[in-house]
Amino acid sequence: MSVAAIKKSPLIEVRNLNLHFGAFHALKNVSVSFEAGQLIGLVGDNGAGKTTLIKVLSGIHKPNSGEVYFDGEKVREFHPKLAIKFGIETLQQSVGLCDNLSIARNFYLGREPIKRWFGIPFLDFKKMREASTKVIRTFGLRDNVSADDLVEMLSGGERQSIKIGRAVEFKNRVVIMDEPTNHLSVREREHVNELAQQMRDQGLLVIYITHDIHQVHKLADRIVIMENGEKVTDVAKHEMTADELEEVIRCGGRVVEKASEVAPS
Amino acid sequence: MMGLSIRQLVRQHSEIGIILIAILLVMFFSTTSFDRWATAYNLASIAQITATLGLLALGASLVMGTGEIDISVGSTFGIGALVYLGTVATIGPLPAMLLAAAAGAAIGLFNGFIVTRFGVSSLLLTLSTLLVFRGVAVALTDGFSFSVPYGERSGFLYQLFGGGDFLGVNTGFWWLILGLAVLMVFLYATPGGSRLLAVGGSAESARSRGIRVTRVKVRAFIICGVLAALAGTLEGGKLGFADGGMGRLMELQAIAACVLGGCALLGGRVSLVGVVVGAFVLSAIQSYLVVNGVRPQWFMLLLGVIVVAAAISDRHLRDWALRSR
Repeated sequence: MSVAAIKKSPLIEVRNLNLHFGAFHALKNVSVSFEAGQLIGLVGDNGAGKTTLIKVLSGIHKPNSGEVYFDGEKVREFHPKLAIKFGIETLQQSVGLCDNLSIARNFYLGREPIKRWFGIPFLDFKKMREASTKVIRTFGLRDNVSADDLVEMLSGGERQSIKIGRAVEFKNRVVIMDEPTNHLSVREREHVNELAQQMRDQGLLVIYITHDIHQVHKLADRIVIMENGEKVTDVAKHEMTADELEEVIRCGGRVVEKASEVAPS
Repeated sequence: MMGLSIRQLVRQHSEIGIILIAILLVMFFSTTSFDRWATAYNLASIAQITATLGLLALGASLVMGTGEIDISVGSTFGIGALVYLGTVATIGPLPAMLLAAAAGAAIGLFNGFIVTRFGVSSLLLTLSTLLVFRGVAVALTDGFSFSVPYGERSGFLYQLFGGGDFLGVNTGFWWLILGLAVLMVFLYATPGGSRLLAVGGSAESARSRGIRVTRVKVRAFIICGVLAALAGTLEGGKLGFADGGMGRLMELQAIAACVLGGCALLGGRVSLVGVVVGAFVLSAIQSYLVVNGVRPQWFMLLLGVIVVAAAISDRHLRDWALRSR
């Protein structure tokens, strides 16, 4: 176990990443590495650069300088398709499911299983139904929900469950959860957090983005805090308490700004 | 329990409303027209009108399914008819039909390209292409009409494309049945159909799953153009002549048939059977007015009223069906 861990290069490694949006310096010399089987809490205020970093990893933004390595191999081209191919799945709150389609169709959207008759690709309904029914049962949706029901019938938590189930089913290696528990009820939130831990236990790398340090401190193995486009803290869970981390967020990188704002008035 | 299962039925089959309306109308028309409406001859004529309008509306419904709209179909219909009639005597029916279809595909490609490439509202763009290609049609005919000499109208192929009957109904009707069957298989049983509806439901989500939204939309516009031109071909073949005004205002009837049939104007929900039944209802009403000697102008007024009523009742029916399970 430990030998294998030493031999393996980190699943994702980022070195000296810089990204500018015009004059705005969104990522400032960020270096971080993530290993498989970890649940990382990526925390920071709005505009801290969490989502920008994630968008680089999922191929949406191209960095101005710095390197990204997937499994030891340098990423030369940034494109969502390549990230998907490597096995990175990003779960966003409001994107990913089409309300007007059934659960089964949503589950396989974009990579539908097909059976060819006379060379024409037909949907393999049996396979679609079986796999999505399995997810409905394993991921705690209501008993009366069937794979043929439209997604518009589902609650917020059930939607997240479907997306998480899809991420697991397609043998992804990395699941990035962007504020996965916003707008969820307390019970649904607990359920989604359980699922995040289950994925970690199955050996996936889970990057969990949130504002809520107390919530993620309970789940995560490691906490990375970003502030103003910089990585300010990167600690294992046991090194700092949630309150200490919260203090870092409150002060980190913003102390000077606040003082200068106050001074003139 | 009973109410629950009906709700489920309505939820999954948005064409239920229009089918009920069609049944009621047929009963009403048959009993109140003193045997003038429900005759074999009149029903065959309704079937022919349904065929051309239905094919036109089927294409429009696919574009509507992606969340766009194509109101240029009336002019594409006219161009299709003119291309067919203008070339059929020299190159024969099959090449003429293919040429008309190619013209329709080109118009669809143009619409789809401009809409997706430049982000122009499809309502605005197809409104202008509606005018542009109507202008082209009028310029082509130069105030006269294209017609096919009677001698050319007896060939098998000419009869196949709307110029004759099969089993007592115009061949156009059988093309509609074929088109409906093919499109139903496409929409409900192939990945392409699923993706088309996904794009209309949420383009952003579809894109996040790796679907090329642009390509899906352009393809829908092309299919729409081809079907509109084919509908024009069939109508042209049936009449044997066409002028620059061919298909004028057909775009409104096509959109009306879509809305009546239970398609969502904003995309994501298409009922192909509903669209065809919607086309039938419009044709049946039109024919009822004709056999009862009502002036055709009233049909336009009635059409407007029907569309608004359909939109309102569809909304209510849908809301009811979606209310808690």
